[in-house]
Amino acid sequence: MSLAAAVLLALTFACDKPDDIAKSTDAGRFIKDDLGREVRMPLKLERAVSLAPSITELVFAAGAGDKLVGVTTYCDFPAEARSIQKIGDTQTPNIESIIALKPLVVFVSTASQLEAFAKTLEEQSIAVYVVDVRGIDDVPNVVRQIGEFFGTLDRANSAADSLFKRMEAARANGTTTNRPRVFVQLSEEPLFTIGRDSFLTALIERAGGLSATGDLPTGYPKLSKETASALHPNVIILSASDDNQRPNDVFRDSPAVKTGRVFKVNADILSRPGPRLVDALEEISKDLTGGGSGTANLSVPK
Amino acid sequence: MLLAAVLLLATALGSERISFLEMTQQQRTILFDIRLPRVLLGACVGASLAVAGASLQALLRNPLAEPYLLGVSNGAALGTMLAFVFFESFVLARPIMAFAGAGVATVVVYQMARGRAGMNVERLVLSGVIVTTFLSSIIVLLTGLLDAARLRGFTFWLLGDLSQATWTGFYLTIAAAVLGTILLTSQSRALNLMMIGERDAMDFGVEVGRVRLMVFGTSSLLVGTAVAASGSVGYVGLIVPHLVRLAAGSDNRVVVPCSAIVGAAFVVLADTFARTAIAPRELPVGAITALIGAPVFIYLLRRN
Repeated sequence: MSLAAAVLLALTFACDKPDDIAKSTDAGRFIKDDLGREVRMPLKLERAVSLAPSITELVFAAGAGDKLVGVTTYCDFPAEARSIQKIGDTQTPNIESIIALKPLVVFVSTASQLEAFAKTLEEQSIAVYVVDVRGIDDVPNVVRQIGEFFGTLDRANSAADSLFKRMEAARANGTTTNRPRVFVQLSEEPLFTIGRDSFLTALIERAGGLSATGDLPTGYPKLSKETASALHPNVIILSASDDNQRPNDVFRDSPAVKTGRVFKVNADILSRPGPRLVDALEEISKDLTGGGSGTANLSVPK
Repeated sequence: MLLAAVLLLATALGSERISFLEMTQQQRTILFDIRLPRVLLGACVGASLAVAGASLQALLRNPLAEPYLLGVSNGAALGTMLAFVFFESFVLARPIMAFAGAGVATVVVYQMARGRAGMNVERLVLSGVIVTTFLSSIIVLLTGLLDAARLRGFTFWLLGDLSQATWTGFYLTIAAAVLGTILLTSQSRALNLMMIGERDAMDFGVEVGRVRLMVFGTSSLLVGTAVAASGSVGYVGLIVPHLVRLAAGSDNRVVVPCSAIVGAAFVVLADTFARTAIAPRELPVGAITALIGAPVFIYLLRRN
């Protein structure tokens, strides 16, 4: 009986209470984040905040969604993310709300302006870790790494393996000869497309196509209509948002419009560098090989 | 003549090479469907804004009066935005509401600037700054509150964007530009007299109130149609009339129509740079005019 009492006593003292969690960051380890910054990652990561929809999706993919205590207002996938407390958006996070949630780590993307709040958070013993997914190839590794941080490595590994298998399958099904010229239209007016710094350029190539604007500098340039009309893409992909329902009028004589190879793809999976990039890869790969559910014979009204 | 040369030059330059000697069908499409309407629209916008600026400067006896600085452009921009949000399919709503927005802004600035002590340069500029920044804030607020996807294009357009030029848009703008220039030139004799002072002008038989109404109304029309077509292209109404005055004196009968021509050339040149400097990418033309205009503004402010 005294043994049981001793065990019970030991268990009571072993259970962490929220204040103790903050102290246990002293037992953290120093690692480098995706930008090479030194970050003190706690050994037990039970409470974290995500400042980007792509990161939220990555954390859920790694099986650690239940450990997220704060997300942005745009974090809408998966459905469980919607019920997590909102703490602002990627560009303007509400620092007070974040601190009040007592997270151990805040995961940010390169889209956030770090300098503004990194110091404030670090003074509150909240680590700031930058996640930089530069292309679809990074996705499985980042999922594994996040699983390691949260202690959900088993689930993360199986998710990463599954993503990797799907990526390989899509590559195998993609066309290698006669790569179609693909134009990705992000907005109809003004005309925005993808350049060489966008992760979508490499993704198009993985899917078996070739981005018609792949040599343009920067990630998301506004394209001159004259040049656009001289591109003659075989396929047009529309990032489906309200202001982007049709190809720009300059494409009306393009092979893509004439043969009806204009496809709408969910804007979120094209803009978030997270696990759903694999969804985008599969969908685009199907569209390019002719098996996709695109909007055929899309006419350009004038 | 200068304008013709500038137009020709602008038409020849672009992000795609066009050989005028042997034009392919493809190049013909580029030239006539894309480049030409844009160049001509630029000319109209430039003419409209310059003439509006010239007449406002004469009426308000203020060398710093100009649609952009007085907040009139922002009023027009806000009107266009509201038209886009609430009457999306009714395309004519945009210039109409832009005209309304420009008109309201003009009246507000004018009333603010008229103190009991009378209107002076600083007071007008100050009122203009207040109205401009206030309207800017509303525009930014609206952009933040309403659906981000729909209004994303607006941010670029607000800086001045001639890339959405179409032939149908052009017809309206050129009609307004021509009408506006004629109307304001007809008032130029009265404006000359009013430059001496409103009291003295009245002694000479000028119906000051009517002239003021004409100038405000017409300049709102000009600014409204220009902004509805291409966003806020700033400083044109400031620089151009002054350049014309430096070259040709202050007689409004000359300054007003010449401003139209020089204004047209100025914007066409700025836009040609905007669309060729980092081709095939594009810069917003309003940024180019501001880069040139802001230093000129500072210079004029110091000289005053």
